[in-house]
Amino acid sequence: MKKISLTVNGKLYQVEVEEDMRLLDLLRDKLGFTGVKEGCSEGECGACSVIMDGKLVTSCLIMAFQAEGKEIITIEGLQKEDGTLHPIQQAFLEEGAVQCGFCTPAMVLAAKALLDKNPHPTDEEIKEGISGNLCRCTGYAKIVSSVKKAAEYLNKGGK
Amino acid sequence: MKKRGKGIACIFYGTGYGNGFPDVSRAYAELQPDGKVAIYTGATEVGQGAKTALSQIPAEVLGLTVDDIIFINEDTSITPDAGTAAATRQTYNTGNAIKMAAEELKKELINIAVKELGLNSDAGLEMKDGKIYLKILPDKCITLAQIAAKQSEPLRTFATFTAQTVQIDPETGQGAPYWPYTFSACAVEVEVDTETGQVEIIKAAHAQDVGRAINPKMIEGQMEGGFAMAMGYVLYEDLGLENGRIWNNKLSTYIIPTAMDMPEIQNIIVEDPESTAPYGAKGIGEPVMIPVGPAILNAIYDAVGVRMTEIPVTPMKLLQAIREKEKQGA
Amino acid sequence: MSFNVIGKSVIRVDGLAKVTGKAVYPQDIYMDGMLYGKTLRSTVPHAYFTLDTSKAEKIEGVVRIFTAKDVPGHNAHGVLFKDHEVFCAQKVRRIGDPLAFVVATSEKIAQKAVEAIEVKYEELPAVFDPVEAMKDEIKVHDGTSNIIYHYKLRKGNIEEGFAKSHVVVENVYKTSMVDHAFLQPEAGIAYVEEDGTIVVCAATQYPHFDQLEIAEAMGVPAEKVKVINPAVGGAFGGREDITLQIHLAIAAVATGGPVKAVYSREESFVAHSKRHPEIIKIKTGADKEGKLLALEAEIIADTGAYASWAINVTRKSGIHVTGPYVIPNVKVDAYAVYTNNPFCGAMRGFGATQVPIATEQQMDMLAEKLGISPVEIRLKNAFTKGSETANGQILTESVPLITCIKKVADALEMA
Repeated sequence: MKKISLTVNGKLYQVEVEEDMRLLDLLRDKLGFTGVKEGCSEGECGACSVIMDGKLVTSCLIMAFQAEGKEIITIEGLQKEDGTLHPIQQAFLEEGAVQCGFCTPAMVLAAKALLDKNPHPTDEEIKEGISGNLCRCTGYAKIVSSVKKAAEYLNKGGK
Repeated sequence: MKKRGKGIACIFYGTGYGNGFPDVSRAYAELQPDGKVAIYTGATEVGQGAKTALSQIPAEVLGLTVDDIIFINEDTSITPDAGTAAATRQTYNTGNAIKMAAEELKKELINIAVKELGLNSDAGLEMKDGKIYLKILPDKCITLAQIAAKQSEPLRTFATFTAQTVQIDPETGQGAPYWPYTFSACAVEVEVDTETGQVEIIKAAHAQDVGRAINPKMIEGQMEGGFAMAMGYVLYEDLGLENGRIWNNKLSTYIIPTAMDMPEIQNIIVEDPESTAPYGAKGIGEPVMIPVGPAILNAIYDAVGVRMTEIPVTPMKLLQAIREKEKQGA
Repeated sequence: MSFNVIGKSVIRVDGLAKVTGKAVYPQDIYMDGMLYGKTLRSTVPHAYFTLDTSKAEKIEGVVRIFTAKDVPGHNAHGVLFKDHEVFCAQKVRRIGDPLAFVVATSEKIAQKAVEAIEVKYEELPAVFDPVEAMKDEIKVHDGTSNIIYHYKLRKGNIEEGFAKSHVVVENVYKTSMVDHAFLQPEAGIAYVEEDGTIVVCAATQYPHFDQLEIAEAMGVPAEKVKVINPAVGGAFGGREDITLQIHLAIAAVATGGPVKAVYSREESFVAHSKRHPEIIKIKTGADKEGKLLALEAEIIADTGAYASWAINVTRKSGIHVTGPYVIPNVKVDAYAVYTNNPFCGAMRGFGATQVPIATEQQMDMLAEKLGISPVEIRLKNAFTKGSETANGQILTESVPLITCIKKVADALEMA
């Protein structure tokens, strides 16, 4: 057991973690962030992606103790308290980028990680930005167009 | 060298269980105290959009919005059996059952309104935005919530729809195994790298007969998803099956398409309403995938002149076929 | 006709829960005091076996290990034939057959116990090639032929049709076994309500059928089983057959506690069905103008160790192998065959996805021989309103195939 502290969605947590616990398990099983999904356990599908210190990471490949002192954003941290959606979430809804929804939380975060760094991405850059996240339902077209739309919303100063 | 080619394919697809097997969907429509309407049915949302499309149908019947429909489909103890979310059957089959239940509810609501408003007839009564009113004298009006408040028990209707198919003769295959059929076609342009065997899809057009489009954006979503799944089927996906063992049992070895693989697809929704369908809408979940694979294979032939009779057409297999052809030509 | 809601791209009603991460998939359900289950599966394709669970049972934290003898009702399930066993009793027929279900206080302990169960196999010869399997020299299911279905279509006079044909093309095509690869691996949780109702929460395509299958295996009336179907992370046909539902029900009833199981991706690959691979031998003939005169096909669909939807899938292949074309003379034989491969069942397109890989390439080959375009040969033969299918069915309405063909051809400038 190891005691670590980390920030998730702006809130500080101090938790005891087992040596072999993955960040994914910490977030889901211990802290209740079940918007983080497990699809493959080998960093291939991207469903467990979270943003850690500004970078998109697959939480199944990171040990919990490695998150010591880190700032993490999960899907639960995007919606405002008054219920307002993040422009990316709004765009996903409007463009029809959601089907079964299992890849969606991580896909939204992948889009956020991309747009935080590159506010005016081309289609190719968007595809590359989300290429680590698999989706079996949508064929990605509506995800790409929603990231484009979200970029417009964000560049106008939020919707 | 990079060579381009175009290919086309078209298909028909019989929806429903088929072959005379009773293909039954059931649904309840129930007026809620606040004037909203709950639909109870066993039809599953697997991501295809059943909950949404099947909410649009009763909303249309009852003059409501989708927000006024409460769709309940998760619990077998309170929902009636509506068959499986498969066979491209939910929009047509359960759509019909829900439409019938909603129409029945509308009839009952109108009858109550006639009495409550002290009218002689239902002629000219309109049901819209949660109200029933007389068009020629709009003050003669009662809300669905007001009707709900007057009921001692919730107003609830039930409907069953069974699709029509006829079992085929076991010796000749003659019969009417499916109804309705859905049609689609796909054309693609590919670029084949003759050095690596890689196939890239450059451009695609995909036309799907839908009967009537209930939700065009969701139909496009199905078409794009079906396109991707077909690309995986004919170009990438390989279980590595050997003596009954699946070797490629991880997503790092069982390769499905990523965003980077996808071309721009022109989706064409073709409407030609089917009279037995709810508002003419036929199912499309499966057929959207089907013409894409053979269109790609035909385009590969057009590009490099080799017929790929075995899928998946992995770069290695295609390269081998191209070399073989070159040898024969030389 | 004008509509208010039909034809509008309204935002999907389950979208908000999904973009905010609040949608609940079965793996997202956590209950107080829940136990964890793990499945032991066969590692050989065809064998008699015995189990020794004594070492595994002694591991601290193991609550119980369930095997075939613990199935209270019928040890069988299946969408058409009840040929799956809930737990194999004596014999395995494929790699991945379930042998036991370990329930423990943690997932880790359950996994450790699965590995501690000793399995002794007495291997049997296995058959992986469906053509070989048709000889019935090795039987996958005792007392049953491996050929479980033969679809026959006979229309017109096939010999005459080919004799009159100006061009004939004949080939053999092979399609592959593939996986649905839905993003959400199988997961579920089961518990017992105060009145004894068994509740199983799992992602499924058909909750009411699961309810019946669980009830039969549990030996209880269907009303005593409730299936809760929360958010489903994709299905594509891969959630038609039972996977963990009955295991969870047995464990919940016997232990009294909520029992949860979540499959890994690797387990998901062996647990659910696959798309039937097919061998399609096909001969197609047309006259000088490109009108189809005859089509003959033989289709062999490998359903692996269990039937699942094999009969319906194979029938669907047989019906759709004609393509959407008017053909006066047709002969089709389609067979569904057991082997010791992974079992195959429903997958998007359900037998109708496999056959156009053959039919539609045949069309292009005929066109090439005749010197006409792929678009032209399709337009010449395409179903229209009033056409008769090879099954003798009349397409009375809503047949916009030609529109579909013309629109995509125009879009890609194909003539």
